[in-house]
Amino acid sequence: MNQSDFEALRTPLLVLLAVLVAGAGAIFYTDRLLTSERQQLLQQQGQLKQAHVRLQKSGDERDIIVLYLDRYRQLERTGFVGEEQRINWLDGLRLANQQADLFGVDYQIGTQKAYPFAAEFNPGQIELNQSLMQLRFRLLHEGDLLRFFDALARQNAGIFTIDQCLLRRIDTRGVIRYQPNVNAECELSWITAKVGAAAAQKKP
Amino acid sequence: MADKILIGISAQDATVAYWRDGRIVECRTFADDDAGQAGFKEHLVQFPAMPVHVVVDAVEEDYRFETLPHATGRDRADMVNRKLKQHYRNTPYLSAWLLGRDSSKRRDDRYLFSALTKPELLGDWLQAIIERGLPVAGVHLMPMVTAGLLDKLDVKATNLLVVAQHAGGLRLTFFRDRQFRLSRLTRGDSGKVEGHARYFTDEISNTRLYLHALRTMTLDEHLTVALIDRSDALQEAAAGIAHENPSLECVRFGRRDLADRLGLDEALLEASPYAIYLHLLGLKEPDSNLAPATVTAGYKRYQARRGIFAGCGAIAAAAAIWSGTNLYNAFMVRGDTEDAGRRTAQLASQYLEATRLFPQAPTTAENLKKTAEIGERLQTTSHSPQKLMAIVSSAVEASPTIVVREFGWKYGTTEISAEGARAPAAAPAVAAGAAGAGQSSTRKESALIHGEVRPFRGDYRSAIATINGFAGRLAAQPEVAEVRVVKLPLNVNPALSLSGNTLDNPEQSSSIADFRLLLVFKPGA
Repeated sequence: MNQSDFEALRTPLLVLLAVLVAGAGAIFYTDRLLTSERQQLLQQQGQLKQAHVRLQKSGDERDIIVLYLDRYRQLERTGFVGEEQRINWLDGLRLANQQADLFGVDYQIGTQKAYPFAAEFNPGQIELNQSLMQLRFRLLHEGDLLRFFDALARQNAGIFTIDQCLLRRIDTRGVIRYQPNVNAECELSWITAKVGAAAAQKKP
Repeated sequence: MADKILIGISAQDATVAYWRDGRIVECRTFADDDAGQAGFKEHLVQFPAMPVHVVVDAVEEDYRFETLPHATGRDRADMVNRKLKQHYRNTPYLSAWLLGRDSSKRRDDRYLFSALTKPELLGDWLQAIIERGLPVAGVHLMPMVTAGLLDKLDVKATNLLVVAQHAGGLRLTFFRDRQFRLSRLTRGDSGKVEGHARYFTDEISNTRLYLHALRTMTLDEHLTVALIDRSDALQEAAAGIAHENPSLECVRFGRRDLADRLGLDEALLEASPYAIYLHLLGLKEPDSNLAPATVTAGYKRYQARRGIFAGCGAIAAAAAIWSGTNLYNAFMVRGDTEDAGRRTAQLASQYLEATRLFPQAPTTAENLKKTAEIGERLQTTSHSPQKLMAIVSSAVEASPTIVVREFGWKYGTTEISAEGARAPAAAPAVAAGAAGAGQSSTRKESALIHGEVRPFRGDYRSAIATINGFAGRLAAQPEVAEVRVVKLPLNVNPALSLSGNTLDNPEQSSSIADFRLLLVFKPGA
């Protein structure tokens, strides 16, 4: 192709280029539009299926509410559901100390954090948190440790788990009288649950 | 069909026809003089960038039938070009037309070589065309175009002689088995109507003799003469030809007949003798193009431009169809989405209606259930040191010389820290599973027992045996996964140094036989 041929074909080639670009652009744009529409359809179909299932299971849902509402309210009262009830915990500690006839309990409560073993319970939308409580107290004998935790659980101040304990015998040099013989250091986790409000379709 | 310019050039004039929508719509003739040339140039101005097809009617033409060895591709082209150069040295207007394969054993290729031997005839006209920037598509000799007339006239004859009066003389073109064999253009005319018959008869006779001389046809063979009478002035001549040559059959085609058969306006037939051939050229361009590449370069560019524009059109159409299909599908999908949305809203509304009958609840039914289950599970599965303490107590009862000084308990993914465990193991682990102290994601209970053997009188062998016995009783419990002795009163590990004095009185020794045991519960115990 010589110069004059190129001159003669320049305009058609430019038009060809423009048509190619415009055509490719149009195809690309409409392809993306179609893909987007298909994705929206899939999403909408998913929502439709969910709505279908939800409506079908609405009877079951009512039964579940009837079955579990009282238990849920009970957990709310004990302080497991909702914000932390630290005052209740301390009251519980005080009463447990009295009921177990201990010599006083030193406590230290850490900041609230996410419960690291929440995944074991598959909590879904429920947020599980924990606050670690370090306890130091003295015992007449080892059996008091278990009596103390039993008493604390009976206070219904919340749900806690015992993570670790260390009992160390106090050297009393053989003197036998009513006095602490064992030092105890324990770590508890007070666990609380934050439950989302009812969804839009639920009654408040 | 694309618009085009059809030009018939003879030694006397040039006829320009404008072809549009499959027919000639305008036809003008320009004499070969200054005024004619000027008019020709001016006339072409109204046809910008339109391809031009030229047919030449001249005495200075030559035809040769050649048989060449069969070849293909570049070999064939080289051989044909060499042959053309041998025959026609002085003209660029030449052509080779492959007629077919020979019936002989060699099956050679049969060619018709043709040329315009006086290129000057075209010079001024072509120059004017090229100056106007019109692309020249091809230059053809009149007899080649005449071949297209046979189908239109529908004359069934083995030997057919087409005779027509042109500006330059009488054109006689012979076809055998509908294939071109010979053409003559005789100069001059009798000028008088009464002399036409004699003139035509003589020229037809001369042509027959010539054909006989060329051994193309014998004088005895039957010949059909197709007399083209566009002016309806040759009735007598046709009758005279048939009368004087009994072996001839003369078929005259008058103006109306020609107009009907060709689909031409009678006025055009009257205007120019070349209207017929220009019409045939407009319908179908013969393969024998004489024009060299230098003349048709503009047409090549014209074709390339049209090809590119056609490609643009095809691409645009394809893109439009593709995009249109996509848009249509997207529209349909959107409709489905909206429909699904409406149905979802309808179901949601029905669900909302159903929930009005539900008891008031602070959260969803699923959350209620899950919260209650988690709370119950946390309470029922909580761990305490009670079990481990009970196991240790029962083991201590069976070993009265063991005194527990410290008891640590842990429930977690890692075992309780064994202080002193970094020291080389004093004794092998007394373990059911003998699992290492590795970490795992499941939580388990573990305990560290720090105690001593009391009383201890320096008898390390006995003390170690007591401790191992204590560890063995612990390991025998079904809940226990492993018991590891992490410290013994005397470290007998050969990797460490050991020192003392044999004169020391064991009874008075102040040393104690302390030990540490790490006890791990099975997960879930």
